[in-house]
Parts: sequence; C-alpha cells; structure tokens
Amino acid sequence: MEPLRQLAKDKLAGKKVYAVMSAKGGVGKSVISSLLALTMGGTTLIDLDIHTMAIPKLFGLEGKLHEVSKNGIEPFEIKTTKIVSLSGIVKDNYVILPGGNQSSIMESLIAYSHIDTNTVIFDLPPGLGDEILVLERITDFTPIVVTTPSKISKKVVDYLMRYLRERGKEPKILVNLAYMDCDGKVVKPFGEYEGFGLPIDPSIEEYIGRIQDYEGAVKEKLKEFIQSL
Amino acid sequence: MHEWSVADAVIRTVIDWADGKKIKVKKVVLGVPSFSFLDVEILKEAFDMMKKDSVLDEAELEVKFKDPKFKCKNCGKEFSLNEVKDQIDSVKSEFGEEYPMHFMPALAPSFIKCPYCGSHDIILESQDMTIDEIQVEENGTVKTVSQG
Repeated sequence: MEPLRQLAKDKLAGKKVYAVMSAKGGVGKSVISSLLALTMGGTTLIDLDIHTMAIPKLFGLEGKLHEVSKNGIEPFEIKTTKIVSLSGIVKDNYVILPGGNQSSIMESLIAYSHIDTNTVIFDLPPGLGDEILVLERITDFTPIVVTTPSKISKKVVDYLMRYLRERGKEPKILVNLAYMDCDGKVVKPFGEYEGFGLPIDPSIEEYIGRIQDYEGAVKEKLKEFIQSL
Repeated sequence: MHEWSVADAVIRTVIDWADGKKIKVKKVVLGVPSFSFLDVEILKEAFDMMKKDSVLDEAELEVKFKDPKFKCKNCGKEFSLNEVKDQIDSVKSEFGEEYPMHFMPALAPSFIKCPYCGSHDIILESQDMTIDEIQVEENGTVKTVSQG
C-alpha cells in the first residue's frame, strides 16, 4: 500500500489536469506552462521538472521556501496563479537522484501540495520518463505537447505523440517559435508546421524573473489556444 | 505540520482499501523512514482528529521507524545511517524543522554522499512510507492483514 499515491490521486480527483510536455528539451515548456497558467487564471501550476526547476526562476521565486500548514505544502501565489516547485523544499541545492527516487519525489510533491483550484497545470521535464508514468498512475490528464518547427524537434516529439496516442490520449500540439508577425505579414522562418503556432517574441527574455508581467503576443495567442481546449 | 498530510494519506488509503465493507479498523501500522524524523505525537493527534466518522473511527495508529540501508553504486560499499549522521545534521541545521528529507526521504541521494568515495550515486532500501499492517474486526473476529 502506498499512501502517498492515494493522496495524490485524491488531490487531483474531479479537477481539470493539463500536462505540458515534450520529448525534446529547450522548446519552451516552462515559459508556455507559466503563460498558460497565468492566462487561464485560477490555476495551480506544479513544476515536475525536479532537476532544473525553471518555473520559480521565471516568476522570480528563487531561494524562497514553501510554507507548510495542516493542508500541506502551501503554494506560492502570484496573481491568481498558485505555484508549487521542489525548489521551495530544497532551496537552491542541486537535485541529483537515481530513477526510482525521481518518481517518488514527483508523487510526494503532488500528494503534499495544497491544491484548491479546479485546474492544475503540470510542467514536465523533457523526455519520456517517470513523470509521464507518475501522472498516468494518478490522473486522467490532457497532454499539451510543445515542439518547435525545427525538423529534429518534430522528429523527436513524434516518439511522445506515438506513445500518447497508444495510451488513448489526444495530445494538443503547440508549436513554439512558429512564425513572426511582421506588421501583419506572417513569416514562417522554419517552414510549415502542424499544430497550433505561437509567434516568436524576443521581448519575452526581458520578462524572465517576472513572467507574470508579460502581456505580449505569445500570451495573446495562447488565449486563442485555451478556447480550443 | 507536514504530519497532517501523512495522516490524511494513511486515512484515505485505508478507506479506499476498505471499499465500503462492513469492517472496523482496529489498528494501522505505518512504516516510515527514520531519517524523516516525523513527529509521532503530531501524527497521532492528526490521525485521531481526521479518522472520525469513518471505518477508522476506533483505529489506533502505530508508527514503526525503519532505518535505511545505504549502498553506494559507485564504490560498492554499504553504510549505515550512523555513518552519515553528520551530513543529515548539517542539512537539518540549514533548513530547520521542515528539512527536505522530512518531507521526502527519497531526496536523500541529493543531500547525502557516500562516506567512502563522496559519490551521490546511492541506493536506499526502506525509503518509502508504507502501511505495513491493518488490524480489522469483521463479524466479531479480529484479524491482521499484512500489506505489501
């Protein structure tokens, strides 16, 4: 009997759960997870990337520790978004773990979190590993697969798409860095793509550490994407 | 405070396991890793508060601490909790009561190095919190159910 798994299942029961994932690293999962959470509003964003923990860095929460109450780990709150990350437990220590321990940590993080929103967004690490298996064990999630239009990214992400479809999921595809909007003219520097395209907006870089203040083109486009979910 | 979540987890798991059967749970034996330093008093208090009006109404909670066995995959040596006590104490002094391994014993390889070769490539046994035994009364008969 594994009590933490039961608690994790119960915490997510009846909620709308989205998992932002990609088989490829560096495609912008964490930025997209954060902007999705902020755009939807009233969400809990759980950072399952237990090694790089980019979410707290995006929101300027580095070095901050979670408070713990009778309800468990209290998320950080930014606007109407609640944020949980392992960095709020280990501060700025590195996290190096054998495989089996990783799934145990992910399960614990979900089980102990105080989740009081109806929507939960998970930011997953790259790859096809423990994180997907952990989520499959505890919840019926909607996968949002992030890729870029580069050929290698599309080829790598195809492994994940095949897996998800075999598991009966209908992944939503978000293509990051898909096009540039040049005064109303859409330019696709990397060619055509399949999926929902997000524009290239270099100004996002200025918002690393305060992503909650970003109101630019990518967020605008994500509003449209959310309507399609 | 984290103990309340642990009590919650135990109660939900046992209720799920009992699945509406007409049984009374008399005792639950919970195994926890010793280096999580869970406060048994708070845990039992939380358990007693949260068990009310459930199949666990009359249940007692027993906590058994399990000492982990460490093995370094890099140099192959085995070592005990006592041999890394200084390392654990130093993490506890940095973080205080809510130190990382209190929440998540599985974080140990991130904070503990092999005392022989300094590697973090450590495997632990008995790192998960488990319900090891449930004692139930069914039709007036008390029986113990061991859990895997």
